[in-house]
This record gives sequence, structure tokens and C-alpha cells, in this order.
Amino acid sequence: MTTAPLLTVHTLRKAYGERLLFDVERLDIEAGGAYVLTGANGTGKSTLLRMLGGLERCDSCTVELDGRRLPLYPYPALLRRAVVYVHQHPIMFSTSVGHNIAYGLLARGVNGHDARPLVEEAMAWAGVAHLRHSDPVRLSGGEKQRVALARARLLKPRLLLLDEPTANLDGQAREQVIALIPTLVEQGRSVVMACHDRDLIGLPGVRRLKLRDGRLESR
Amino acid sequence: MGLLDAIRHAFALLFSGDAALWHIVWVSLKTSILGLLFATPPAVLLGYLIAMHRFPGRRIAVWLAQAALSLPTVLIGLLLYLLLSRRGPMGGLEWLFSQPGIVLGQCIIGLPVLLAFTLAAVQALDPRYAETALAHGASRARVMFTVLHEARYGVMAAVISGFGRVISEVGCALMVGGNIEGQTRTITTAIALETSKGEFAQGIALGIVLVSIALLMNGALVLLQGEAHNPGARL
Repeated sequence: MTTAPLLTVHTLRKAYGERLLFDVERLDIEAGGAYVLTGANGTGKSTLLRMLGGLERCDSCTVELDGRRLPLYPYPALLRRAVVYVHQHPIMFSTSVGHNIAYGLLARGVNGHDARPLVEEAMAWAGVAHLRHSDPVRLSGGEKQRVALARARLLKPRLLLLDEPTANLDGQAREQVIALIPTLVEQGRSVVMACHDRDLIGLPGVRRLKLRDGRLESR
Repeated sequence: MGLLDAIRHAFALLFSGDAALWHIVWVSLKTSILGLLFATPPAVLLGYLIAMHRFPGRRIAVWLAQAALSLPTVLIGLLLYLLLSRRGPMGGLEWLFSQPGIVLGQCIIGLPVLLAFTLAAVQALDPRYAETALAHGASRARVMFTVLHEARYGVMAAVISGFGRVISEVGCALMVGGNIEGQTRTITTAIALETSKGEFAQGIALGIVLVSIALLMNGALVLLQGEAHNPGARL
């Protein structure tokens, strides 16, 4: 059964000089759908996610969100509220873990008092409650990734863009991050992940998008 | 007077609570701090904007900001003298040979230092800070405050370097302030005057104050930066 797309990307193009890097005719992202974006190194998986997250310019592209046609650049406020991008190596602001997780809520005008229970719930979800007062600079890669996922999830984005969420993680840290992804989808979030990780690609219900020569192939 | 005698006399002046000497120190501190207070907000804002945005002429702006670092203060003094003199376009303010005139000069001298150092600090910061703030819905102003908070040690270094430059300059303070005793005489202009008169003791005493201020300011920066965030190499 196919559900209505949350976001439809139309004719996304980006070139560097004469070289056309992206020529994506159409991409439908369903509400509550999970996708992995695969492709060889250097094919532009991260750049594509960054463009969808409003962190990089595209030469031309329109998107459709809730039936409204919007440009991808300049990035509209409506998309900014609906989409959150998480870096491959998430950056932590130099404050406590709790404040890092609350960052987006506070940036959106939620006061600290109202944010506190939401932050507690997000920390419990990501299994980082014990790190509440830790210096985020000293967290391990896996802990940083889980804090970043909690920080993003707290904003209740309709679409999460995760750039290689398990890259450079191994063992338990990797498993803990992988375990969080299906719960995001169960909560109704759409998730697009750039990755090579076979365990992420093999998660139930995850659809595969392959980027090759700047074009997307659905599998 | 021999050097040792001059030094001994200088310390005696410092600890005797010589009112004239400490008034000179007060004028220096007041004009430098005020000049820096006026220069810091626009300089930090401009430094941030130049560092974070791509626009036509950006490289020229960076070049001018860095070139302004080496502007001789005496030239700034000359320009201000012409602007503030009775027949100059700003003559109506009557700021020539007054403390507001010195403050304006210190502000102009400090601005490029603050701007260039802030620009360098923000440019050196990992771009993911701004991207993460933006991706989590921060407004432009909030992104700026987040980035400046993360680059705060660089910005603090900018302020302290700016302070060092304005409190130690002599050319502009002399030309715009006029070195009037009890009014516009600063540490540096007093040292220049006392040395020219052969009165080394007060010059040395003021020099000790100037060096102490520099040590205190830089010590404060080292303390604020802290060991934890700047461990350096441990071999």
C-alpha cells in the first residue's frame, strides 16, 4: 500500500561548472517512510541530503509539502520546521548534554521550564539520561550520535535526514544507534539516511534509493 | 639621575599614592575602555558577517580589515585632528583636545583589531556549529550568538588585543588629546613628555602600570580560556 507523499522533490539540479552533479527528476518521500540513500563514495549522498536540509544550494529545484509547491532555495521556513538534518559527525555545543538536546526547542521560543520534561523524555529515549550534566566534548562517537538524534527528534520533525548515522561506530555504540531508527519511523517520522551500513539497509520496511551519476534509482 | 635611582623613585611614586600619576592612569583606562566599548559591537558584528557570508567584494573587505591593522595611529590622529579642528566638518562637536576626542580615536584604532581577530576566530570555527543551529530552527540572530559563543575565546582575545593596542598607542592620543595635564594626559603621552623633559621616574612608574595592565589582561584571558579546552601538546 502506498501512502501520500510527505515531500515530493521535483527536478533537483546542481552543477559545478560544466559538470552536472545532480539531475533528480522526482523523489517521493512518504509520510512515515524510511529510506536509505546508497551509492559509491563521492557520488554526492551527503550533498543531496544537505540540499534537502537547506544547508547547501541547488541550482534549481522545487518541492511539494502538503500540496504546497515551494522552492528549495532559499530554504522556506515551512521546510525548516518540518525537516531536520543530522551531520555524520554531529557537533556538540559547548554546554551540557541537556542544553544541547534542548537547543532546537529553545531556538523555537519554548521556555526552559516547558522544555525540561520534553528533554528528559528525549534523553530517556536515546539512553543518554545519565550523561545529562556531562561535557559533550568528551562524549564518545556513539553517545554524540544518540544525543544528536534526541536533539533532532525533540523538534518532532516530519522528515529526518541522517548522514551516515553509524559511520565510524562499532559494536554496542552502532547497535544502539541502529535500534533508535525504527522507533523514529514508528512515531510517524519519515527518515532518509545516507549510508553503507548493511544492518541499516536491511532494517524492515526500509526502501533503498541508489545515487548513481547524479540520478536516483529506486530499488 | 641614574637608572637605579629612577626606578627607585618610580616605585616610590607608585606607592606614595601620587594623585597626578593615578589620574593619568585613570584617564588612560577610562578612554581606552570607552573606546573599546563603542568599537566592540560593530567590529564583532562586521567580523562575523564577513566571516559567515559570501558576497561580491568579500576578499576586498578582508584585505581592508587586515590592512587597517597596520594603520599608523599617528595618521588616524592626523585625520581626526583635521575632522575635529574648529574648521573641520566635525568641529562643532568641540572634541579636539578633549577626552571624547581621545575616545573616538581609541574606538577607530581598536575597531580593525577587533574586526580582524573576530573574523579570524569565526572563520576558524567548524562550520557545523552554524549548520546545526540553522538545521534546528535557529533564527539568524540566534545562529550568530551561537557561533560567537563557540568562538568566544577568539573574540575575547580580540577584545584584549584591541585593548592592548588602544591603551599603548601614543600618536593619536597626543594629537587629538593634546596631552593637557589633568584632562587629556594619558599614560603614553605622559611617558613621552616626561622622557623629553629628562624626568624618567614618572615615565618608568607609568610604564610599570602599563606593563601590569597588559599582564593582568592577558592573565585573565589565559584563566578564562582554561586548561580543559586548550590542553595543547603533552609530550
